[in-house]
Amino acid sequence: MVNEKEKTGGQVLEEWKEFVWNPRTHEFMGRTGTSWAFILLFYLVFYGFLTALFTLTMWVMLQTVSDHIPTYQDQLATPGLMIRPKTENLEVLVNLSDTKSWNQHVQILDKFLEPYNDSVQAQKNDVCRPGHYYEQPDNGVLNYPKRACQFNRTQLGDCSGLSDPTHYGYSTGQPCVFIKMNRVINFYAGANQSMNVTCAGKRNEDAKNLGDFTMFPANGNIDLMYFPYYGKKFHVNYTQPLVAVKFMNVTPNVEVNVECRINAVNIATNDERDKFAGRVAFKLRIIKKT
Amino acid sequence: MFGVEGDLKCLHLRKGEEGLTSTRVAELLAQNGPNVLTPPKETPEIIKFLKEMVGGFSSLLWAGAVLCFIAYLIEFSKDKSASMDNVYLGVVLIVVVILTGIFAYYQEAKSTNIIASFTKMIPRKAFVIRDGEKREIPAEQLVVGDIVEIKGGDQIPADIRILASHGCKVDNSSLTGESEPQSRTCHITHENPLETKNISFYSTTCLEGTATGMVINTGDRTIIGRIALLASSVGHEKTPIAIEIEHFVHIVAGVAVSIGIMFFIIAICMKYRVLDAIIFLIGIILANVPEGLVAAVTVSLSLTAKRMAKKNCLVKNLEAVETLGSTSIICSDKTGTLTQNRMTVAHLWFDNQVYQADTSEDQKDQIFDQSSATWASLSKIVTLCNRAEFAPSQESVPIMKKVVMGDASEAALLKFSEVIMGDVIERRKRNRKVAEIPFNSFNKFQLSIHETEDPDDKRFLLVMKGAPERIMEKCSTIMMHGQEQPLDESTAAAFQTAYMELGSLGERVLGFCHLYLPEDEFPDTYSFDVESMNFPTSDLCFVGLISLIDPPRSTVPDAVMKCRSAGIKVIMVTGDHPITAKAIARSVGIISANSETVEEIAKRLKIPVEQVNKREAKAAVVSGMELKEMSPEELDELLTYHTEIVFARTSPQQKLIIVEGCQRQDAVVAVTGDGVNDSPALKKADIGIAMGCVGSDAAKNAADMVLLDDNFSSIVTGIEEGRLIFDNLKKIIAFTLTKNIAELIPFLIFIIAGVPLPIGTMAILFIDLGTDVIPSIALAYEKAESDIMSRKPRHKKKDRLANHQLALYSYLQIGILQSVGGFFAYFTVYAVQGFKPDRLLYLRPLWENDSLNDLEDSYGQEWTKYQRKYLECTGYTAYFVAVMVQQIADVIIRKTRINSIFRQGLFRNKYIWVGIASQIIIAVILSCGFGSIPILNFTTLRVQYWFAAVPYAIVIWLYDELRKLLIRLYPGSWWDKTMYY
Repeated sequence: MVNEKEKTGGQVLEEWKEFVWNPRTHEFMGRTGTSWAFILLFYLVFYGFLTALFTLTMWVMLQTVSDHIPTYQDQLATPGLMIRPKTENLEVLVNLSDTKSWNQHVQILDKFLEPYNDSVQAQKNDVCRPGHYYEQPDNGVLNYPKRACQFNRTQLGDCSGLSDPTHYGYSTGQPCVFIKMNRVINFYAGANQSMNVTCAGKRNEDAKNLGDFTMFPANGNIDLMYFPYYGKKFHVNYTQPLVAVKFMNVTPNVEVNVECRINAVNIATNDERDKFAGRVAFKLRIIKKT
Repeated sequence: MFGVEGDLKCLHLRKGEEGLTSTRVAELLAQNGPNVLTPPKETPEIIKFLKEMVGGFSSLLWAGAVLCFIAYLIEFSKDKSASMDNVYLGVVLIVVVILTGIFAYYQEAKSTNIIASFTKMIPRKAFVIRDGEKREIPAEQLVVGDIVEIKGGDQIPADIRILASHGCKVDNSSLTGESEPQSRTCHITHENPLETKNISFYSTTCLEGTATGMVINTGDRTIIGRIALLASSVGHEKTPIAIEIEHFVHIVAGVAVSIGIMFFIIAICMKYRVLDAIIFLIGIILANVPEGLVAAVTVSLSLTAKRMAKKNCLVKNLEAVETLGSTSIICSDKTGTLTQNRMTVAHLWFDNQVYQADTSEDQKDQIFDQSSATWASLSKIVTLCNRAEFAPSQESVPIMKKVVMGDASEAALLKFSEVIMGDVIERRKRNRKVAEIPFNSFNKFQLSIHETEDPDDKRFLLVMKGAPERIMEKCSTIMMHGQEQPLDESTAAAFQTAYMELGSLGERVLGFCHLYLPEDEFPDTYSFDVESMNFPTSDLCFVGLISLIDPPRSTVPDAVMKCRSAGIKVIMVTGDHPITAKAIARSVGIISANSETVEEIAKRLKIPVEQVNKREAKAAVVSGMELKEMSPEELDELLTYHTEIVFARTSPQQKLIIVEGCQRQDAVVAVTGDGVNDSPALKKADIGIAMGCVGSDAAKNAADMVLLDDNFSSIVTGIEEGRLIFDNLKKIIAFTLTKNIAELIPFLIFIIAGVPLPIGTMAILFIDLGTDVIPSIALAYEKAESDIMSRKPRHKKKDRLANHQLALYSYLQIGILQSVGGFFAYFTVYAVQGFKPDRLLYLRPLWENDSLNDLEDSYGQEWTKYQRKYLECTGYTAYFVAVMVQQIADVIIRKTRINSIFRQGLFRNKYIWVGIASQIIIAVILSCGFGSIPILNFTTLRVQYWFAAVPYAIVIWLYDELRKLLIRLYPGSWWDKTMYY
């Protein structure tokens, strides 16, 4: 096609015009009206059929999936840990001279802790026997909704935020950070032995800057009675156990890397790839004008 | 163009010619340059290499790679610990581009350059007269005006005008393609420099004799130089398949870029970050580009090329494989291609009757009447009046293959008599030759006198052969059934009729006569003197005529028929005489038995040629002279209205004009040829086919294909393979395009519905360059669905490789079906892990949030980012496997376009199963073996989810069977037009 003459712009435009609407053959985009009608009808039928096929296969597939427990849980062998307040990049920033900077954390926490209010707990949940799993087996017959154990806000002590003028310590530069462990259905955390959460500075200088901290409940204990979890649908009022850490005297104006991990027999905390398996790392930064 | 200076008189060599002076030579050398051919400008290799890197899909992939790096830089500028995934992807893309580029370059580099063979022909030394003395100088230093001497065996050092000649004969076959030796004298015999006998051309060979001549052209101005220039200046046309692939690349790239940009804008409007939008763009481009296709096409073409090579078609330019299949006009050379390229006895005339001789390659069945006494005499003349001899030590070689020393006609007669009567040499010994006058163009006869083998018969036998009219003049009697009869008017008329009849068959006719010399006048001691001719050369006895022709190859008529039925027009283009050309054309079927030329119609209706309606004549024989007078429009008309055309006496330029004329008709033109003169036309043709045995190197270099056995019927095999590969390329492209949609839709759904990404870019690359490669190549082995040689050649502009039916069927039907199947597998693996489909919708911002490590699933369980990422990779794997499974169905349905799979046979093409096995094995290795390599993003998939897409695969197969069934049931219907690709 070396010898083919270059088409001028006008010719190209003409060709396009004719392609869009050809007055001689009454063709729109190279097809007549009937042809278009056939095509549209065909694709309507074809895609209708496809939708039906997809719906059918999906329906069959979802029939095989149970409502209360997923078919496989192999991805969740190790539950992750997470903190509250949940912040962007997991950085808890408290600027003492700027109320706004920490007020959002406080609001999040207020909301987060609301279901833990003693009154709510007393009304909805059972008082369980500490140190034992609260098992509610189905025994052949579905037995639901399952009962949940009480976790009272008051258990969080200084971090409960109840009648607390310091707002979980945020106004005074002694913030509380709440640690929670991810829910995994039918997971017997601790394998019948007691477990607790410990925190530390990530590196040596972090440990120095971190200073003292207090944990609520004492020792950062998580009781076995909150396990196992039976799933959103059956375990309606399940209350996740929390561990609150109150950092008493963090060195201000430096970024402190904190890592908290759970010490439990059946939870590995050294996964190379999943940095949140059984542990959580976050940054703490208190800004204080000197 | 090839005008010759000088008048028509014979220039004679002056006595004591001094030649040019050294100073004059130096001047001329400075003015005209040395006597060498300029090599054509070559594109530097690096440029060629770089061109491969940016052409076609490569530019899209480069864009993808650049976007990858941009995305990484944006990320890096925000966060120093940004993931390297984009960099890896960019690097992988560049590697893919470079590897494909190297692959394509390697294929390209195989094509050889044309000038090399011309330079090879340059004679090394020349004898020249300068400053009054003869000296030997390198031929490069010759200048116009030099006086050179040539002798037998030399190559002519430049174009020279003969000044003096002693029996000089030259072989012009490298120039004209006709291998008959031609004598050279100082007489001007024709206005056309190519025809005249006083010019010898550069690079042709002097066979015998000596000559002295003056150089008239040197270097690039010689005829050969001009042809070389012409050949290299003729742009090589893009092959039809290259045009088709370009067209297809445009479609795919157009779809890729427009969808990419559309969704880039949509993403921006949906408030995605620019970075994300760029990543989407990369994904969309990647999904749309069939990375493995170019390699698959190349491999398929080279597989076909190999297959053709086995059938004696050697393909130099890979794309030419398909070109042959789309050929609609073949311009065939006559000598050597259609004919056997050797003179053979075709007819005999004696006893007032024409006998036919066997002209097949082995001449085993000579069926004419050999009992007549006339034949005994004739055979004796044929045997004795012949100077040709077999070259020594060829006892074991079959007669027809033996090398003969002597000219073509004599060789033909020698072989003819050897086949019929056995040992010719022995017979000649028994009839000792006592005198001989060899053939010359002035006498036009050859004569010899022999003793007879009968010891009692002391008479001498005079035998003579030559031009029939000259022989007839010398005869007064004619032999009938062994008896001499006086030559009366009726026998003379019978002779004339026979002579004309054989002549009109395009045959070279020779007359034979003899005379037993009376014993009393010529006793056995008589001494014959050929100078004074002291013996009678008149009142001889006429014995018979034998006509010779270069007969058609026995396979050619069948091959021409096949071309006919395949809708291919066969045009003969030859340098030979119109009559010979027409005769051969008739005998091979290029002009079929019942079609007439304008002249023949005129003759039959007894009206002047001008009054004949030209449209009525199917056949036409056009000579070079007539062609010269024609305007391009007239040529177009000729080519359109005559289906059977013979061009005779054509020059290299005219061959080029004919080829161009055919190409103006939108035809795909194949040209066959062997001589240097053919090389411009070979190059200009869509596909040039050179003869492997007799072809000159220049022709072979200009051609895209070489016929190793010089056999026209090999072309037919080639056409069949070419058509098959076109069909199979369609299948390959349809197969490859289908999954592009299955790779594209995930990105679109990902952007619009915010679900976690169903398939990653790496998985896409592994489909395109992994699982799909071998099955697509395997489709190249698919057998034809029906008789592909009974349909018309495809129309270059209408029957596209990737037509809209193919695109729509692959993209909007099977492709969408595959996507749905893929999504089903994807939703399944998420659902069984805890994320039901409703939870996935618009989950993307949370799903991809790195600091969100407690994302809740449908059951209230909480997932860290890594756990989600792992699940996402499981999703990729599931989708990948689903596409793989459905591509198995796809490769099976693509085996046929119209027939049922069962008719085609599921197991006839074993390579398909190799391909399917490769798909499964690659997927298993990726899923199990490399699941632990993080950047590949594959995980191990539970066995049952490998089968998630099987129902969809079955639906694909059933649906396609339905499509084919309806096409077969309702040909020409709306369904046929819309669904048949």
